[in-house]
Amino acid sequence: MEVNLSKRIMLLLGALLMSIAVCAQAAFTVDVPKVVGLDENFRLVFTATGEPSNFNPPEFKDFDVLAGPSTSTMNSTQIINGKRTDSYQVSYTYILQPKSTGTFSIPAASVTIGGRVYHTNPVSIEVVKGEGSSTSTPSGNAAAPSGTSISSDDIFMKMSVSKGRVVKGETLVATLKLYTKVPIAGFENVKFPSFNGFWSQEIDTPSNIEFTRESVNGKIYNAAVLRRYLLIPQQTGNLIIDQSEMTCLVQVKVSSGVSRSIFDDFFDSYQVVKKRVKAPSLQVNVSPLPSGAPASFAGGVGDFKMSVKLTKDSVNANEAVSLIVSISGSGNLNLIDAPKVEFPADFEVYDTKVSDNASGQGGVKNSGTKVFEYPVIPRGAGVFEIGPVEFSYYDISTQKYKTLNSGKLILRVGQAVEGTDSSVASLPMGINKQSVKSIGNDVRYIRTGVSGFTRANHFFFGSFLFFVFLILIVTAYFAMDKFLSKRIERNRDIAGVKNRRALKVARARLNAAESLMKQNLYSAFFEELHRAILGYCSDKLNLSMAELSRENIAESLEAKFVSKGHIDELISLIDTCEYARFAPDQDKPEMSSNYKRAIKLISELEV
Amino acid sequence: MKRIFILNILIFFCLASYGQSPKELWTEANNNYSKANYEDALAGFKKIEESGYVSSALYYNMGNTYFKLKQIGKSILYYERALKLDPSDKDALNNLQLAREFTLDRIEEIPDFILNTWIKSINYSFSSDVWGYIALVLLAGVALFLLLFKYGPTLRVRKSSFFASMIFLLFFCISIYFSWSQKHVYNLKDTAIIMKPVSTIKSSPDNSGNTLFILHEGTKVSLLDEIGQWKKIELADGRQGWVSSLDIEVI
Repeated sequence: MEVNLSKRIMLLLGALLMSIAVCAQAAFTVDVPKVVGLDENFRLVFTATGEPSNFNPPEFKDFDVLAGPSTSTMNSTQIINGKRTDSYQVSYTYILQPKSTGTFSIPAASVTIGGRVYHTNPVSIEVVKGEGSSTSTPSGNAAAPSGTSISSDDIFMKMSVSKGRVVKGETLVATLKLYTKVPIAGFENVKFPSFNGFWSQEIDTPSNIEFTRESVNGKIYNAAVLRRYLLIPQQTGNLIIDQSEMTCLVQVKVSSGVSRSIFDDFFDSYQVVKKRVKAPSLQVNVSPLPSGAPASFAGGVGDFKMSVKLTKDSVNANEAVSLIVSISGSGNLNLIDAPKVEFPADFEVYDTKVSDNASGQGGVKNSGTKVFEYPVIPRGAGVFEIGPVEFSYYDISTQKYKTLNSGKLILRVGQAVEGTDSSVASLPMGINKQSVKSIGNDVRYIRTGVSGFTRANHFFFGSFLFFVFLILIVTAYFAMDKFLSKRIERNRDIAGVKNRRALKVARARLNAAESLMKQNLYSAFFEELHRAILGYCSDKLNLSMAELSRENIAESLEAKFVSKGHIDELISLIDTCEYARFAPDQDKPEMSSNYKRAIKLISELEV
Repeated sequence: MKRIFILNILIFFCLASYGQSPKELWTEANNNYSKANYEDALAGFKKIEESGYVSSALYYNMGNTYFKLKQIGKSILYYERALKLDPSDKDALNNLQLAREFTLDRIEEIPDFILNTWIKSINYSFSSDVWGYIALVLLAGVALFLLLFKYGPTLRVRKSSFFASMIFLLFFCISIYFSWSQKHVYNLKDTAIIMKPVSTIKSSPDNSGNTLFILHEGTKVSLLDEIGQWKKIELADGRQGWVSSLDIEVI
């Protein structure tokens, strides 16, 4: 009964396990040393994770199957932090021996797990003529030579690079490996190389060193990767990766004595010997990138793809939105600068966020995705075009620059919602006016209108023509001046002559009257004066003495445009003369004043 | 006389058929500039310059083209030339300041006295030739008013024409001065621009002289003296030295 119960529990558990195993990640792998000696037998293990059925082994043409397949099952359950992992493994083990030297491949084996057929990858095995005396477990049992001398053949270090010739910015992987035939107890004074001229990153630093078998020059070594680096050259020319050094603590067997028995091995004591190993320096030829890089080249070398999107297609003003540019691919992803994005001038652009999730096969993190996030806040409403975002890189496979273009992105910005930006909304009107910002600098545009060409070195000032005009004007002035002054002179002369003549006529006419005045002959003077004035008038006006009446004189003088004053003066003078001739003695007009009046009148009439 | 006239006409037609007129070249070069074919535009402008025509607009456009071609030294040279023809050209001044941002040497230039600037802007609102014609017209006016002063019919006319003639005389003197000063400044070859990216200034006019200082492309210097292939220069801050005349270009 009890047995029955335990059996039942077992069955139950088994069923449970099986179901879990089916659920777990199924896999089918092969494990085999890479290098074997010709007279060495080795193990080939196919491991199926899950519940396999229908195991279909490959054909071993080039190897003798010494034993196998022997099947072993492993079952494990892990509970870590309450998380349970179950695994169920079946391994099929063969023991093989090579028939001849060379490189042989073992074709794929297949197995069905949970209804699906899984294949192993075909593996190749190199068979060398080496002294593969020991089998399996590399680190402990490698043949240690007796004696304390360890040659550099037994243990050495090597630095290798994936590419010897690269262009600037191209990624390459440097691997530092230790090859040994002797057992190693540990390391001391490890000096890893510095990579001058490279951007370097350790991509693989195994915490416990795993040895795999490799053949070097036909000898089998246990090889282990000490370090792997991802290198990106930053300079051109021959860059040198300098040597790396370390001290290995090698276990050397000290022979205990003469007798050699089967037990000697057990009693042999081991001695630790220090051995300094060096990996020689290495040269990498870095050629510069060809010229003609596009403007949007940001240092990317490799093979990339770009996707550009906005977090939101339409936002309201004063709301944040991000433009996300993700660049994926393989190459020097870490060193790519953020592509330049043209945002509309009204956008507030904040610092670009960069996130990097480089991943890669085999721990080489040279591929992955780099995401640039450009947070912006549009400040005004409208439909805006962003970009296009351009990203250029140097494609190693085609050896050409390639430019990826995202095309234009449209962002619709609605009116700012009241209260979204309280700092602005609470301010009084007019405060949120902004001064016009200068976005860019450029020269002002060229003149396209009037050219205004003149002959070089040709000036009107000081030219012959200029002086000709100058002299012309000056001479014209002087000529004009002379002409005018002459004319005035002449005019003035005519007047003078006339005046003189008129005075002369008047004096002549009044000559007799003057002598009578001097003799003080009163009535005779006035008689003579009267006669002289009337004579003058008859001469002047071409009138006979009979016609000389006052009316006639006035009329004729008026016809000659003599002023009214003069006419009146003349008439009054005649009146005075007539009055004086017949007037009584008491109120006689004065002689000399009347004489002067007459002289003045006649000379004025004459002028 | 007649023969010379016919010959002149012949030469004119030959020239006309040989090359495009400067006006055509000008429009073509401007079109090239607007299409961003700066090299073609420059070639066009250079052709106009070689055919013996100048204008501040031409130099200004050449400065712009050189700027677009990233030849900062040349562009400064041509902006300076444009300003030499018209110091009141605001666009050229603005672009010159922008181009100077790209030069390496920082030399403080003392800004002009404001009155000076005003006078200059009045002076250069007309070309030297126009001022010359204005001066002649004003001189004719002076002569006319002097005659009127001398032979005017009444005292009032004579008085006022005396004042008018004096004012005309003053303006005549001013316009003569403007016309002369423009010509004088144009013919003055006393400033130059460093054309080499790096130019060493020596203490003596030969290569063996001590290097006093180093100037970079686009720096303006004034010329003091010349011995053979060497020119004595002075910086705005008063330092002097000798430079090979190949390193500089006179504005």
